[in-house]
Amino acid sequence: MSGEVRPFPGAPEHEVSPELLGAVEALLFSAGHPVPMVELALALDQDLQEVGRAIEVLGWKYGAPDRGIDLVHVDGGWQLQSQPRFAQVILKLRGGKPLKLSRPALEVLAVVAYRQPVTRHEIEGVRGVDSGGVLKGLLDRQLVRVSGRREEPGRPLEYATTPDFLRMFSMPSLGSLPTLKEREELMRDAEPEEE
Amino acid sequence: MSIAAFQQPAWTVHTEVFDGPLDLLLHLVRRDGIDLRQISIRRIADAYLEYLDKMYEVHLGIAAEYLVLAATLCPLKSLEILPRPPTDASGEEEPVDPRQVLVQRLLDHERFRQAADQLDQQRMLGRDTFAREPAELEGIERPLVAGIDAFGLLDLYHELLRKRSTPEPTYDLRGRGPDIGSCVRRVVERLGGKGGRAIFSEIILDIPTRVERILTFLAVLEMARLQWVQLEQKEHLGDVVLVSQIEVDADLSVVVGRIQMEGGE
Repeated sequence: MSGEVRPFPGAPEHEVSPELLGAVEALLFSAGHPVPMVELALALDQDLQEVGRAIEVLGWKYGAPDRGIDLVHVDGGWQLQSQPRFAQVILKLRGGKPLKLSRPALEVLAVVAYRQPVTRHEIEGVRGVDSGGVLKGLLDRQLVRVSGRREEPGRPLEYATTPDFLRMFSMPSLGSLPTLKEREELMRDAEPEEE
Repeated sequence: MSIAAFQQPAWTVHTEVFDGPLDLLLHLVRRDGIDLRQISIRRIADAYLEYLDKMYEVHLGIAAEYLVLAATLCPLKSLEILPRPPTDASGEEEPVDPRQVLVQRLLDHERFRQAADQLDQQRMLGRDTFAREPAELEGIERPLVAGIDAFGLLDLYHELLRKRSTPEPTYDLRGRGPDIGSCVRRVVERLGGKGGRAIFSEIILDIPTRVERILTFLAVLEMARLQWVQLEQKEHLGDVVLVSQIEVDADLSVVVGRIQMEGGE
């Protein structure tokens, strides 16, 4: 959770009617999945700006220490999620194991996410090992999809990430991927340490 | 040795620390404090080969990928040891330093290892946070936000063919047979004008021959592309509903003309 910034840092500037706040909360709760603001506005017959303010107020309220849910901007919409600090107790209640991605799966996913559309050959070029099995696993889990074919000899398949990928990592869009370290930065990191 | 032994997929060696040859090489670079800007292939290649020897000694199977990298390093090493021809000052392009290519690969590898770490530190649904599944409702058909794509439709089509157990009818081989144009026409008529709906699986299952089913599948793809139909899917892997965006008497010649033109090439 390093470097995560709460999207609702300060107290909101605008007043929003309690009725609208309640309605937005009810809609998001009942939907479960992320709901785009436009859909909220249509359902409530409100203008976007007003719904935006309601989201802001609601998100800020969930920041209070006595709240267990959080309002998160995911895949172009807004979603209610449990707060990360309660992950352990939730898992205990549900009696399951947390979802886990293997190291190779994370690496392939990272290459696809940053380089999409990308071919299997390119993924393996970066990783240095056969990645067919891992890629298939990610396709099955629908975190990665076939996005097309590269116009080059052999017309290899190209891979890209899916909306499920954004949802799994609670990202509003691909633009919110953390920036890759520049090669120069790594070069500096790699300098032999003085002893 | 049996033939089966050769048919096994390439082995992957998972030692405690390394996941592949690039990982090993990176580790050696770090261990020996080699400056990537002044990388000495000779040093790194020797360290790498020495390590492979060690792996042999402890009877670790070495995957082909490790040997490929070894084979890449060796000529680089000899290039480095051999005296270089004096650089031609007459403006000929200097060849790319093969060491730079290797360094770039190593750095790229390192970048994506770090990117994987960063992904792992993201808030992960199902590990750090949990959301609810919405309650089931009767009779809602809402379009998916992203819409169903061609691959989704293909999966559905295969699923349908698998489910369908009735034997294929006999074919009448005389005549020209069906074409996409007539299949489009049939789907349009079945939808019955703008706003008309039909379930994709029902359309397909009502068609007797495989050829026509395939053509109808292609016809639906084409119609979706032309935005003559909107495809809606209530849930993942659920039925796809076609919603007509055109009238029954709309001009369908675009699709007919295009298919014929392509066929003639």
